[in-house]
Amino acid sequence: MNKMMLGRYVPGNSMIHRMDPRAKLIVVFFYVGIVFLANNGLTYAILTAFTFALLFLSQVPLSFVLKGLKPILWIMLFTFLMHVFMTKEGYVLYQLGTFTIYEGGVKQGIFISLRFLLFILITTLLTLSTTPIEVTDAVESLFGPLKRFRVPVHELALMMSIALRFIPTLMEETEKIMKAQAARGVDFYGGPLGERMKAIVSLLVPLFIHSFKRAEELAIAMEARGYRGGEGRTKYRLLTWKWIDTCLLVSILILAVILFLLRS
Amino acid sequence: MNVRTIVANGILAAVYIVVTMLIQPFGFTNVQFRVSEILNHLIVFNKKYFFGIVLGVFLANFFFSPLGMYDLIFGVGQSVIALLTTMALMRYVKNIWVRMALNTIVFTFTMFIIAWELKLALDLPFLLTWLTAAAGEFITMAVGAPIMYGIHRRARFDQSIER
Repeated sequence: MNKMMLGRYVPGNSMIHRMDPRAKLIVVFFYVGIVFLANNGLTYAILTAFTFALLFLSQVPLSFVLKGLKPILWIMLFTFLMHVFMTKEGYVLYQLGTFTIYEGGVKQGIFISLRFLLFILITTLLTLSTTPIEVTDAVESLFGPLKRFRVPVHELALMMSIALRFIPTLMEETEKIMKAQAARGVDFYGGPLGERMKAIVSLLVPLFIHSFKRAEELAIAMEARGYRGGEGRTKYRLLTWKWIDTCLLVSILILAVILFLLRS
Repeated sequence: MNVRTIVANGILAAVYIVVTMLIQPFGFTNVQFRVSEILNHLIVFNKKYFFGIVLGVFLANFFFSPLGMYDLIFGVGQSVIALLTTMALMRYVKNIWVRMALNTIVFTFTMFIIAWELKLALDLPFLLTWLTAAAGEFITMAVGAPIMYGIHRRARFDQSIER
């Protein structure tokens, strides 16, 4: 199952890789909000520069980043064209019969596609430089205060680790089931709707029964070892907040202020 | 929450990801046909599947969604709101088929959250996006109901998590 790349994590030892995942998560959330502050050429240029600076610091090969962008190209193109044809602002750039392209539409199209590209880039950067398990730890730590409101934060983090652990196992199992059913004549990739529904049932029934069995076994193993989560439990992986994480947070705050001051 | 519920929900989230990955037609934009959406119907069998479904949506969006952080917030938000609504309605409705029908309607209706997300992120027209996204969701969930019932007859969803 090594061919399966879950998430898009690229191992590395760059500054971005070594940062506390909590800092990265906060920055990405914040970034998604402040992206909307940009509304003219200058603010977009600053935002783009900031994003590319982070990409550069992460030392992730550009080819990986571009590969992640492939599926969104047509959405970007669609969004761009939609704004070009729908927005009727500014002077006329081009006219062909009833077809008119306005300067405002092109500008709007470029800005919105760029904004989209930027927040895809920043999220891609997070997934490229942070392992899913680090994200789990960060989420558990950041949502910790919600424990007071009886949100089962620790339990959720444990579920997430279990899910991450079992994805490759279940993948393998599912492929086995698919092959076994295909050998019995099930066609997963074609046929009328009714047949396809039956095919899905023939795949999911063994998958569910197998999964529940696994869950049962794991639960018994954990109970037998006296598993108790939450209070008083120590951790194998510890998150450490370093000065560089604070720097990252401060830099995004400064970026927000600059964008706010320069927007029109 | 006891260990069994935690483990079962964790593995359920893994199943969600596996189904998303292996049976992956097209989704994630305005017309969504994600086969794993049919797993939303699990809630009608037992409320304890709530966290597994939500976590599955969270991880699927984390790994595969091109919209990234937006889908994490809005996608998970939509699932939470829709599932809680169905859970509230389940108090008054006991029949599984009616519950699945209600669940389909709730999920279809709450697609306005996704439409709102796409409006924010891409400035797509709200109503049209809602219509297309809801249509995709409705078809997936409606087709999914008999599938899930078929699986339930053999896998016994209502008891599997309780044992």
